[in-house]
Amino acid sequence: MIINNIVRNNSLLIKGFFVSGFLSLFMLLSSFGYTQTTEDEKNFQVCKACHTIGGGKLVGPDLKGVSEKYDEAWLIEFIQNSQGMVQAGDERAVKVFNENNKIPMPPNALTDDQVKGVLLYIANGGKLDGGEDTTSIDTQDNEDVELQVAEETTQLIAEMKRDGKRNMSYVFIILIILFVISLFDLVVVKVVKAKWIHYIIMLTSVIIIGEIVFVEATSLGRQQYYQPDQPVWFSHKVHADQNQIDCKYCHFTADKSMHAGIPPVETCMNCHAQIKQGKKTGTKEIDKIYSAFENNEPIEWVKVYNLPDHVYFNHAQHVNVGKLDCAQCHGEVEKMDQIIQIPDLSMGWCIECHRTESVQFATNKFYEQYTKLHEKFKNGEMPNVTVQNIGGDECAKCHY
Amino acid sequence: MEKLYWQSIEDYKEQKFNSVLDKKDAIPEFSIEGLDESEVKGKSSRRDFLKLLGFSVSAVALVSSCQMPVRKAIPLLNQPEDLIPGVANYYASTFFDGSDYCSILVKTRESRPIKIEGNDMSPITKGGTNARVQASVLNLYDDSRLKEPTIGGNNSSWDDIDKEITERLTTLNQSGKKVVILTSTIISPSSKSLIEEFISTFPNVEWVTYDPVSFAAMRKANELNFGIAAIPSYSFDKAKVIAGFNADYLGTWLMPVAFSKQYSVTRKVTQDNPTMSRSYQFESNMSLTGANADYRTGIRPSEEASVLLNLYNEIAKSTGMSVYNAPTTDVDISKVAADLLTNKGNSLVVSGTNDLNIQLIVNAINNALGNYESTVDIGTPIYLRQGNDEAMANLVKEMNAGLVGGIIINNVNPVYDYSKSKDFTEGLKKVDTRISTADTMDETALECEFVCPDHNFLESWNDAEPVAGYYSITQPTIQPIFNTRQFQNSLLKWMGSSNDFETYMESTWKSILTDVTNFNQSWNKVKHDGIYRIENETAERPEFISQSLRAKKGNTEGIELVLYEKIGMGIGKYANNPWLQELPDPISTATWDNYLCVSPAYAKENNLKLEDVVSINGIEVPILVQPGQPIGTVAIARGYGRFAAGKAGNNVGVNAQQLVSDSVVEIKKVAGKTFPLALTQMHHDMEERPIVRETTLAEFIKNPASGNELHAYDEKHNVTLYNKIKYDGLHWGMSIDLSTCTGCGNCVIACQAENNVAVIGKEQVKNRRIMHWMRIDRYYSRDEANPEVFHMPVMCQHCDNAPCENVCPVAATNHSTEGLNQMAYNRCIGTRYCINNCPYKVRRFNWFEFTNNNNFDYNMNSDLGKMVLNPDVIVRQRGVVEKCSMCVQRIQEGKLTAKMENRELREGDIRMSCEQSCPTNAIQFGNLLNEDSIVNKETKNPRMYHLLEGLHTLPSTSYLTRVRNNEA
Repeated sequence: MIINNIVRNNSLLIKGFFVSGFLSLFMLLSSFGYTQTTEDEKNFQVCKACHTIGGGKLVGPDLKGVSEKYDEAWLIEFIQNSQGMVQAGDERAVKVFNENNKIPMPPNALTDDQVKGVLLYIANGGKLDGGEDTTSIDTQDNEDVELQVAEETTQLIAEMKRDGKRNMSYVFIILIILFVISLFDLVVVKVVKAKWIHYIIMLTSVIIIGEIVFVEATSLGRQQYYQPDQPVWFSHKVHADQNQIDCKYCHFTADKSMHAGIPPVETCMNCHAQIKQGKKTGTKEIDKIYSAFENNEPIEWVKVYNLPDHVYFNHAQHVNVGKLDCAQCHGEVEKMDQIIQIPDLSMGWCIECHRTESVQFATNKFYEQYTKLHEKFKNGEMPNVTVQNIGGDECAKCHY
Repeated sequence: MEKLYWQSIEDYKEQKFNSVLDKKDAIPEFSIEGLDESEVKGKSSRRDFLKLLGFSVSAVALVSSCQMPVRKAIPLLNQPEDLIPGVANYYASTFFDGSDYCSILVKTRESRPIKIEGNDMSPITKGGTNARVQASVLNLYDDSRLKEPTIGGNNSSWDDIDKEITERLTTLNQSGKKVVILTSTIISPSSKSLIEEFISTFPNVEWVTYDPVSFAAMRKANELNFGIAAIPSYSFDKAKVIAGFNADYLGTWLMPVAFSKQYSVTRKVTQDNPTMSRSYQFESNMSLTGANADYRTGIRPSEEASVLLNLYNEIAKSTGMSVYNAPTTDVDISKVAADLLTNKGNSLVVSGTNDLNIQLIVNAINNALGNYESTVDIGTPIYLRQGNDEAMANLVKEMNAGLVGGIIINNVNPVYDYSKSKDFTEGLKKVDTRISTADTMDETALECEFVCPDHNFLESWNDAEPVAGYYSITQPTIQPIFNTRQFQNSLLKWMGSSNDFETYMESTWKSILTDVTNFNQSWNKVKHDGIYRIENETAERPEFISQSLRAKKGNTEGIELVLYEKIGMGIGKYANNPWLQELPDPISTATWDNYLCVSPAYAKENNLKLEDVVSINGIEVPILVQPGQPIGTVAIARGYGRFAAGKAGNNVGVNAQQLVSDSVVEIKKVAGKTFPLALTQMHHDMEERPIVRETTLAEFIKNPASGNELHAYDEKHNVTLYNKIKYDGLHWGMSIDLSTCTGCGNCVIACQAENNVAVIGKEQVKNRRIMHWMRIDRYYSRDEANPEVFHMPVMCQHCDNAPCENVCPVAATNHSTEGLNQMAYNRCIGTRYCINNCPYKVRRFNWFEFTNNNNFDYNMNSDLGKMVLNPDVIVRQRGVVEKCSMCVQRIQEGKLTAKMENRELREGDIRMSCEQSCPTNAIQFGNLLNEDSIVNKETKNPRMYHLLEGLHTLPSTSYLTRVRNNEA
């Protein structure tokens, strides 16, 4: 029993190799996806959940040529708070609302200038000035490439999982048997006369057994490649990849709070009030949302990324301040149907990143108070100020 | 001669007679209960070893074979806009429990209150709180709270109970039989008008206000002197000389938080402004105010009137007022009289005794000194303590005569705390319809047929007007946890109104916010700020009508009993609050008990010592020899000995409420009987090192570094092999001004609430295992009959050369680049080397698992009680060492906010839990590298010293010498 469980996962080295390889592949792949180079494009990510530009009606109407249909002032007000206008009885707003099956558009906390930027972006047909088209519906070729990439990734994950479950118990048992045999021979039977052979066998097996035990013991309580079944078969691939919904549309507190935020059913209903059928699961899974909504019972998702209680982790620190991409820790979520835990979430994994990742030393004014470091940074003595340089590998940064 | 400081009577004798008279008991440093002898002696056999080996192997097997638990993430169904999981919200609210008032901010996480902070915007409490306010959040999660309305002890429903009560009230109204609403003082304008409306619906209803500690005599005296039956407001900040007579204005009297804030202003000495107030205290027990006074005189309670009248005569002679016949007294008042006279108009005399003659004399003195124009404002009355003794006495009489048909009791517990509680209980039984709105099944609720549990104040809407023109708001910060209903809503229901109190209150506020253009906007602002002020036009001060003054001669024989309130327990309302039970009393350092304080002279005479048991009027109490207890008096605290408080508070101490104060009592020693008391002062003994540093104002003016000469010496002589750590950007530090610190204990509870510090119970406190990260040390100096008292908050000093860090074998404690002494609990293996090597004795060891352990049945042993825990701070497990982290979670939060706002940290962005709510601003926190920060400036203060700086531990925490305004 002991052996079986101790030897549940394989050596960390191999895992580490795969993880780093996988991550670098992600970084390579992520250059294919949209790049958030301008604010407008970023802001439009939210809109994209329900609208297209020239791609026909989704949940909301096609936005192509919207600036010609309505005047700018009206659009700004409508985008900022459409329901306010509907309730106030604005004729055009009510008309749009009714035309779109009375699905309310959630209010957007954008300034007037930001809305103008988004409108310009729409007017350009979803292109940045001089940039390539990123929002229009993908061509068949693109889809194929994507499908291929997705399949490759899924395969990779499956491989990793298999690899992760490679059973070292045989090696462990064989080594123990070897050890016992040579001990027995050394003390009792004495078949082999040369004692050094016994010693070498015993020593080698002890070292390897020790290594296995050490590695397995350190990973006790860790859940790398954990992929539990969720109460709703929710596909991140469908949402984040095919529909290009921004992570932060659902995980709405990732840049504000320690928690990334599990979306309330209300958020699902923003779109699923309209979309009642899925390609893969039909109405089965989406119906669960309706029943939760009607019965006033929240959906109990299974938490995949679990940190021990003695660790304090804050999403806002990493996403908002550190400007890390979600994928840097969570992997290419948009290629997964069900979420799988990519890193092992060990302290070594955390610290590794804190040692190499540089902080936003040039842009964030907070770091100006580190006068000595700033001096060096300006001189070019330290082009990269890492998290470690400002004390990011100290106990009380995460443990309190 | 160098001043000697001592911590206990034993210490004192040792010093005074230079010999060990009473050998101190051996300290149980290591004792694990329940181990057999061989184990205690540390003998272990081969079999023990094998047992352990087997256990560890099977434990590992068990752990490794366990599946990881499946953890759920459950989102809200509908996300409220302003609720972000993981981010705290603060709501302005008001704490008022019937006697104490405080304007507060409630910190909520995921919609549950976890901490109370002071509201900086309040012009009254100015961001301060006291220990009881801090601890009140735990009452919300009290297991003894009633969960349902009950009829005759059986759970019922609101519909049934309302039907029954409405019927009864209507019948009583028709028959014209009297119904009484018995409440604590109510300072809420809306509630007052609601009760009046209730009375107009049921004209047979009468409203009686009852205060266990009454101020009726003061109100009466003001009625006679000014024609206004009110308590005036005081300005301690304007007073240069303060004379208190049995008024513990820094601890428990009237508005201690507000008065402490005012008092501390006059105690802050700087080189630029070397002035401070001088306080005299005449008192019959050792109070917090007495401990902080420059001159303290012990008097018998019966003597107070004659002392005051002599003082009046002395002042009247110089001011040309009429002089009255005064009995002679031994107490010398010439010094205080002279001081008061030189500071005419800038002085203040207060008395906390509920005696009309005494209050009349106090008024006459303040009038003669012209204080009504500056420090005492009768035109702006304080609305606290409106209890009417006569009405209460009358109620008891009428109930016993069978004239009362119904009674509604709200927020008072007279069966426990009324001085004639037997009469009250007898009378109550004769009332047909007895309704209690208590939130727990307290002593009075047990006697009532209908119990309609009230909300906790954190679940309620309410308003308050503690001082005329100063308003504040109470708002709910959590959905009601149980099926309870606010008292005011009950009244509205029984009146037949369909309104709820929130709407009712809003309509009242429409009449308060009269001169605003947009009511909704202003109302929202009031709810946001928590406070509102109407500038009253200064009314013509009423003419002073002289009354004839008289005083009886004080007793010279016999022992007089004094009842006092402890700063934690008060009148016993919070008996079931384990935080407050375990708060060491600032004077005696006792936890979990009350006791009879006797003077050292009396103890010697009667051969009494600590923990001996005596019988006083038939009640057995343990003895505590209290230095400074006046000759001829003994004192005992109210608020203990409750039998229906709850699991933590039942039968703790003895009920002293029935022992009538100021009476001569018989005390008999119960031979051979002792009762253990859990005192904490001797726990972390620093022996006779120069810990306490003080000077007098006169010396300070001559030499600002006086009393602190050792600092310069140590600075010069300290050498080290280590390199001095060079910090970049951030170096956190703290500064504690011992001149303004009163030792009230607010910080201890604030720290406990913030950092999930465990309650361990009396037994373990006695074993010296108290877990408080912050303690308040108390030292005495001079003679034991009337010592000087010195308070000193001590927490981890965050040394740059930390002795604890060097000895940790696993590097669980080490230094950060921000100057913090970090403690990684999950790395600690519990060798306790660090505890041994810490010269400040601030590290605590978790001897037991304090969560989910029935042996420690306090808040961390129930799901409800655990809701108060701060989710940002881990709950420590058995076998690890913990200590003050300098609220590192707050530091990290403050840094993150600054980063998200793309700016540098500013002074005041980050505030420690102990610092934020300090009622005297004695604690300051900041970045030592920031030239403009207060902590940085204080390091250059000639009064600054580090604790035990001769050790060269280079602490980040500094202390400022205490300055007293008296003669050396």
